[in-house]
Amino acid sequence: MISSLSFINQKGEILIYRVYKDDINRNEIIQFCAKMIATKENKESPIINIDQTSFIHISIKDIIILATTKIDVNVAMVLEFLYQLTKICKAYFQGNLDENCIRKSFVLIYEILDEVLDYGIPQIADANLLQKFIQEGGIQQETTINIERLRQLTYTLTGAISWRPAGLYYEKNEIYLDIIESVNLLISRKGTVLRSEVVGSIELRSKLTGMPECQIGMNDKLLMGKQARYNKQNSGITIDDMKFHACVGLPKFEKDRIITFIPPDGHFQLMSYRISENINIPFKVNAFYSEIRENKLEIRLKIKSIYDQNIYGTNIIVKIPVPKNSVNVISASSIGKAKHEVEEQSVIWRIKKLQGDVEISLNCEIQLGLTTREEVWSKPPLKIEFQIPMFTASGLRVRFLKVMEKSGYRTNKWIKYLTKGGEYQHRL
Amino acid sequence: MAYFGNNQQRGELQELYIDLNDLNFEKKKEAIKKVIAYMTVGKDVSQLFQSVIKCLEFQDIEMKKLIYLYIVNYSRQKPDDAIMVIQNFRKDVRKSENPLVRALAIRTFGCLRVPKLNEYLIEPLKDCIQDDDPYVRKTAVLCVPKVFEVSPELCPAILEQLQKLLEKESNALVLANLIQSMREIEVLYGKQLIILNPKIIQKLLLAVDECIEWGQIFILDYLATHDPVDSKQAETIIERSLPRLSHINPTVTFCAVKLILKYLDYLDNGDLVKNLCKKISPSIISLLSWNQPEIQYTILRNISLILQKFPILFENEVKVFFCSFNEPYYIKYEKLEIMVRICDSKNFLQVLNELKIYINEADPHFVRKTIKSIGKIAIMYDKALQEAVTILIEFAKNVQQANEPVQELFIQMQILYRKNRYLYKSNDSLKILFNILEYANEPEAKSACAWIVGEFAEFIPKSVEKMQEYIDHFLLEDRLVQLQLLTSGVKLYIKYPSLCSALIQQLINSAKDSFNPDVRDRTYIYWRLLSTDPELVKNLVCYQVKGSQQFQKDIRLWETKDLIIALENMGSISNLFHKLPNQLYKNIKVRNNHQKEAKIYKVDDKLESPSKEQQIKNDQQNQPPQQNQDLDLLNFEEPASNNNQSNNKNKIDVYDLI
Repeated sequence: MISSLSFINQKGEILIYRVYKDDINRNEIIQFCAKMIATKENKESPIINIDQTSFIHISIKDIIILATTKIDVNVAMVLEFLYQLTKICKAYFQGNLDENCIRKSFVLIYEILDEVLDYGIPQIADANLLQKFIQEGGIQQETTINIERLRQLTYTLTGAISWRPAGLYYEKNEIYLDIIESVNLLISRKGTVLRSEVVGSIELRSKLTGMPECQIGMNDKLLMGKQARYNKQNSGITIDDMKFHACVGLPKFEKDRIITFIPPDGHFQLMSYRISENINIPFKVNAFYSEIRENKLEIRLKIKSIYDQNIYGTNIIVKIPVPKNSVNVISASSIGKAKHEVEEQSVIWRIKKLQGDVEISLNCEIQLGLTTREEVWSKPPLKIEFQIPMFTASGLRVRFLKVMEKSGYRTNKWIKYLTKGGEYQHRL
Repeated sequence: MAYFGNNQQRGELQELYIDLNDLNFEKKKEAIKKVIAYMTVGKDVSQLFQSVIKCLEFQDIEMKKLIYLYIVNYSRQKPDDAIMVIQNFRKDVRKSENPLVRALAIRTFGCLRVPKLNEYLIEPLKDCIQDDDPYVRKTAVLCVPKVFEVSPELCPAILEQLQKLLEKESNALVLANLIQSMREIEVLYGKQLIILNPKIIQKLLLAVDECIEWGQIFILDYLATHDPVDSKQAETIIERSLPRLSHINPTVTFCAVKLILKYLDYLDNGDLVKNLCKKISPSIISLLSWNQPEIQYTILRNISLILQKFPILFENEVKVFFCSFNEPYYIKYEKLEIMVRICDSKNFLQVLNELKIYINEADPHFVRKTIKSIGKIAIMYDKALQEAVTILIEFAKNVQQANEPVQELFIQMQILYRKNRYLYKSNDSLKILFNILEYANEPEAKSACAWIVGEFAEFIPKSVEKMQEYIDHFLLEDRLVQLQLLTSGVKLYIKYPSLCSALIQQLINSAKDSFNPDVRDRTYIYWRLLSTDPELVKNLVCYQVKGSQQFQKDIRLWETKDLIIALENMGSISNLFHKLPNQLYKNIKVRNNHQKEAKIYKVDDKLESPSKEQQIKNDQQNQPPQQNQDLDLLNFEEPASNNNQSNNKNKIDVYDLI
C-alpha cells in the first residue's frame, strides 16, 4: 500500500526515511522536497502526483510527514494513518513532535515505523499498546524473558479488546468526564445566521480496576424517545451524528442507541458528535464601521453575552479586523483591554471574565495612513474566541454514567462541561 | 580491508568498523545506531555489511531491529552476504519462543527481496502461517505478497494455504490482514484469489466488529467491490455495516458509506433505500467538517461523484459547503466547485449571495474562480441572470488594475450578454465595463472585450476609436483575439459604413498577413462577402436573438456508465483525480461485467433510467465541438434560417464543462 514514509523538516532535509516496498527510491523523495520548498504556500493540495508516484503528506508544525505510493490506495486512510502516527510520536515525546526529538530518538521512531506498517499496510497504531513493547532504550528485560507475559501481550494486541490490557489495578477507582463543545458559527453582514453548528467531544480519563463495562447516557432525543418515562417537555436534543472510539460497541448502539464500552486505560476521546439544531449562541454582536472623515475610520462594537447570569465566560478574545494601513488606533472599552496588533491586522480585545446577560462595548478611532495604491479592503470576518465552563451551546447533558465490574467496586465520577469558540465568525 | 582510506568518509567508516568489532556490547550497539543514522541521511554504509550482521548473535531486541532494518536496506546490493543471515532468520523463526521475535524475523525475511534467498523462506513461512500465536500469523500472512512479488513461482502451495486459512481463521485481525494480503496478490497475479461464499461473508462481517480500525477498512473496502447476489444479501451486508457509520476513524465511516451506497442499487425495497439515505447523509456531512483539512479535502473531492448519483443525500444542505474565511485554499476551491454543482432552481439565490462575499477576498485565483462560478450559475438559471450581473458590475466598479479576476470578469460578462443581449441596459453595465477595457490582457478576455465593442458599438461612445486601437496592434494579438477582432470589425463597418471604411481596409490588410491560416481564411471570406453582398453579411454577423437564449449545460463529471466503478473506488487516488483506476494506472484492469444499471437517486424519488441519460449524452456528442459560434459563418449559403438553428445548437458547447 504505502511504499515509503519520511519525516522532512522545513529545509527539505530528510530526517527519517523508511521504505516498505521496492518501487520507490530516495531521489523521488528528494525531488518532492525540492518542490515543497519551492511552493511554500499552503495552497498545494495534500496529495500530489509526479510521474506515477503519489505523494501524500501532512504538516505538523515544522515537520512534514510524507507517504508515497505507486498504487491506487485509499487516500483518506493514508492521511488518517499519518495523523495517528503523529499522535503516537507525540505520546512518546510528551506531546512534542519537532526536529530535535526526531533527531534524538530516530532509533525509537524506526522501531515504531517497523511496527505500525508492514509491507505498507497499517497495523497496530495505538500509542498505549505500542508502549507496552516498544520503549526508548528497549523494553524491560523481564518482559522479553517471561514467555507467558509475552503471549498475553500478543493476544491483547490481536484480540477483540486490544485497547485494554488485563489485570489493571487501582486503589481508588475514578473516572473523569469532560464534555467539550466548540461552536462554529457564521453570521452574515445583515445578522442572519448562515451556519451554526456544535462539534463536541466527550473525553474520558479512566483509572479503573479490571475489565469494567461502562454505560453513558445523554439527553439524546432518540434514546429518550425509546424510554417512555420521559414526557414530551423533556424530550432531549437532536444529535445529528455521533462518532465513537473503537471501544464502543457499535452494533449495540445501532440497535438500542445505548453507548456501552470497556474503556482504555488513561486518557482518550470516547466520542465526538455534531449538532446543528437549536444551538444557544453565546454572544450577540453588533458592529458598525463608519468613515467619519477622510482617512479616519470609526468602529463601534457592542457585544452581549446571552448565557445564564450565573455563568461566566473566560478568556474572551475578540478579533476586530482593521485595514492594513491603520496607523493610529485609539480604543476605549467598557471592560478588558483592546490593542491594535499590526501583524494580525486587527484590534484584539481581550476580556478575562464576562458574566452572562451583560452588554459590553468598544469604540475605536482609526487613523488610516496614505497608501500608494488604493486597494479595496477585503474585510475579513470578526472572530471571537472564548471559553465558557459549565455551559453547553447544544444543551447536551450527561444523564448517567454507570461503571459495572464483577468485583462491584465504587467509582468516583467527575464531570466537566466547557464550550469554546470554534470557527466563530461574523461577517462585516 | 579495501575501505581503509584516507578521506573523511572512509575515516568514519573505519571508526565504525572498529567499534562494530569491539568486544564491548554497548559500543557495538552505539555503532549500529550510528550506521543507521548515516543510512537515514543517505550515506552509503553498505561496506559494513559483514561487520553489522555479525552483531546478530546478541539477543537484544532493539539492536536486532536495527540490524534487520540495515539488512533490508542493503540486501539487494549484497545478495551474497545476505545469505549469511539466513541461518539467523531461520533460527529466530523456528526456535524462538518469543512471538515478537518470530514475527519480527518473518517480517524482515520477506523484505529481503532477493530471489535466491526466497527458497529458504518458503518452509518457515508455511510454519508461521500455522503458528499458534495470532500475532505471528497476522505478520506471516502479510509476508506472502512480499515473496510473491519477487518469486511468484515459489508460491502456489502457499496461496492454497491462504485460501484454506480464509475458511478456518477465527482471529479478526488475522482475517483482515489476510483479505488485504490476498487483494495485493490478486493485483500482482492478475487472477482472482478470494472466493467469497455466504459463510465467508458472514465471517468477514463478524470480523468487522472485532478487529482494529485498519482491518475494518480492509474488509469494508473489499466488500465494496463485491456484487451481492440478491436484494436479501445486500440488505444483510448493509445492516451489518451500518454501525460503522459511527466509528471515530473517518476512513472507516467513509468506507461504510461507500459500501452502503454501492449496495443500494441492489435493494428492492424503496422505503428502506430512503431510510438509509437519511442515515448516511449526516455521516457524510460530519466528515465534511472534519477538523483535519487534508481529510476534509479527500472527502470533498469525492462529493461530486456522490452528488451525481445521489442528489438526494444533499437536499437542502448547500450551507455545508460555504467557505470559512481561514480555510486552506485547496478546500475553498473544492467547495466552490461543489456549490455550483449543488445549485438548483430553489437555492441559486442563496448560493449567489454567498459567492458575492467571496468576490472580495484577497486571493486573486479564488476570486477568479468565484466569478466563473457566478457566470456558470447565471447560465443555468435564467432567473439568476439579473442578480449575477448586479454582482459582477458591482465588482467591476472597484477594479483598479489588470489582475486575474478582471480577465474572468470580461469572459463571464460576454457569456452573460450572449445569453441575454438586453442585459447591457442593466446597471450601466456597458459603461462600467468600457471604462476598464484596458485591463484585459489574457487572449480570452481580450477577445471577449473585442466582442463587446463590436456587438454594442452603437451604445458605446467611442467604439470606433477603441476598435482602431485594437487594430493598430492586430498582428501582435493571439489567434483567438484576431478572429474576434475580424468579426467585430466587420460588425462595426456594417453599423457605421462611412466612418469605418478606412478601418475595415486596414483590418483586412493586416489580417490577410496573419500567421494563422484560420484568420487568413476568414479574412478572405469576409472580404469577398463584403464586396459581393453586404446585406448578407449583415444577416450573418449582426444576427440578434430576442429574449434569453437557452443554454444547455452538462455539469456531470462522470459518464453514467462509469458511475458504479467510480463508486466502488471511492476514496482512492484515481477517484481523487476524478478518473477511473484504469485511466491512471496502466496495470489495473477494471471489471466491466456490470449488468446492473446505475440508478440515480433524486429528491423526488423518481429513478432515472440510464438509457435516457445515455440518450442525452449521445445527442450532445453528435454536435461538433466548436470553440466559437462565429465560426459557422462557413454555412453562409443558406443564411438566415439555417444560421438561426446552428447558432443555437453550437452555443451548447461553447462553454467548457466544469
